[in-house]
Amino acid sequence: MVRNNKAQMKIQQMAFMLIAVTLFFVLAGMFFLRISFSELRSSAELVEEKNALLLVSKLANSPEFSCENAFGGVKINCVDEDKIMALKTNIDKYSGFWGISGIEVRKIYPLDELTECTSSNYPDCNYIRIFSGSSAQSSGVGVSNFVALCRIEGGENLIQEKCELAKIIVYYGGGE
Amino acid sequence: MKNKKAFQISFAWLFAIIVGAFILFLAIYGVTKIMKTGGDFVSSRTGAEIGVLLNPLETGFESGRTSVLTMPVETQIHNRCTIAGSFGKQIIKISQKNFGKWSETDVDVGFPNKYIFSDANVEGKNFLIFSKPLKFPFKVADLIYLTSSENSYCFVNAPERIESEIFDLGQENLYLENCPSDSINVCFDVFGEEVECNVYVNENMKSVEKNAEVVYYETDALMYAAIFSDFGVYECQVKRLMQRVNGLLAIYSDKNAIISMQGCSSNVDIFFLKTEIDRIRSSEDLMNIAAVADDLDRQNDLESCKLW
Repeated sequence: MVRNNKAQMKIQQMAFMLIAVTLFFVLAGMFFLRISFSELRSSAELVEEKNALLLVSKLANSPEFSCENAFGGVKINCVDEDKIMALKTNIDKYSGFWGISGIEVRKIYPLDELTECTSSNYPDCNYIRIFSGSSAQSSGVGVSNFVALCRIEGGENLIQEKCELAKIIVYYGGGE
Repeated sequence: MKNKKAFQISFAWLFAIIVGAFILFLAIYGVTKIMKTGGDFVSSRTGAEIGVLLNPLETGFESGRTSVLTMPVETQIHNRCTIAGSFGKQIIKISQKNFGKWSETDVDVGFPNKYIFSDANVEGKNFLIFSKPLKFPFKVADLIYLTSSENSYCFVNAPERIESEIFDLGQENLYLENCPSDSINVCFDVFGEEVECNVYVNENMKSVEKNAEVVYYETDALMYAAIFSDFGVYECQVKRLMQRVNGLLAIYSDKNAIISMQGCSSNVDIFFLKTEIDRIRSSEDLMNIAAVADDLDRQNDLESCKLW
């Protein structure tokens, strides 16, 4: 009887030991996974940030934004305001196209209160939200670059090309 | 009487062996999974970084730009393309050499705004990239040509404009003379026996023959694309580019409506170009589209209010 009890005791000891070893491995594995996932997330954020930084410097020259020859010769870092208003209406097709969470263009002079451009008030406005993660305003971190913002302006008997100084802002990390 | 005790295993031993084996199995399974996840992570991160690093190749004034992409280990870049969605997607898959074996991954990294022209699988440690804008008739995209530094291209009998462009690029694996013996010969309108050509460029037909397959091009940007890429990659990217032209046509159409309100409308009729693009089946149809695009460009040049 005593021998039997001793054997049972040993089995229990072994069982507890094995459970402890398993738990140790599980905990160690979870710890490792947590570190791996945080590294994955920070790595993804870093790639997103790099993308936004590199993109903002070149976005003005991409075909959806650039002035091309529309304003008397090829201009670098020139955004066609009429074209981006048209882009705004076609933005559904461009979902996920640039891999960022928002794009805005703001005129920087004169320093008036921000008035968002819509089809009804254009061109009497100074801020074009091409797209953003949330409907109300752009979310995430913004990086910007200075551009020339040009458009056709019609007067009573005069049609002229008008270029203003603006900032193109690219948002990342806000979820598209 | 036989002694059976020698074969007897106590319950404690049996229990320890079964549970131990189970723990070992779990540990090996877990480590394998983690290694696979780690490999996938490295592949997807590298793929995403390659895509991001291609952003500065967006051209402004310049006709072409070249740069070098150096990987820490021997790498295979698998160039894939899909036309699904509004603009299709450029897909990059990365395999890297670990302990003499290529890692395998199912992770695809996609970029709807990139157009990479290369062989379906490019292998090496250093990759040479140059880009060139495609105008059709307005700027459509910057085409990216990716080659491995291990492959040399020898341009035989190239026209002067191509020679001067390649000379100006100064890309180390593109040769105009003194070509290495193992280089890929790109022959322009040469059909003689004196040079063994791997790629034939027929400037009259605007076609490129490579691996017994013929593709068609319009503009020099697409000619380079046809030279440096596989048949499948080229045809898919051409369709994606035409999807982009369609997207831009919609924007220019709306722009026309906007400038009309300012009393400055354009009479450029983009409808015909859209119709031709909708009909595209392969690069062979590019010729028809290019004819319409050229007409459109001429019309736009004559306008006082230009759309592009």
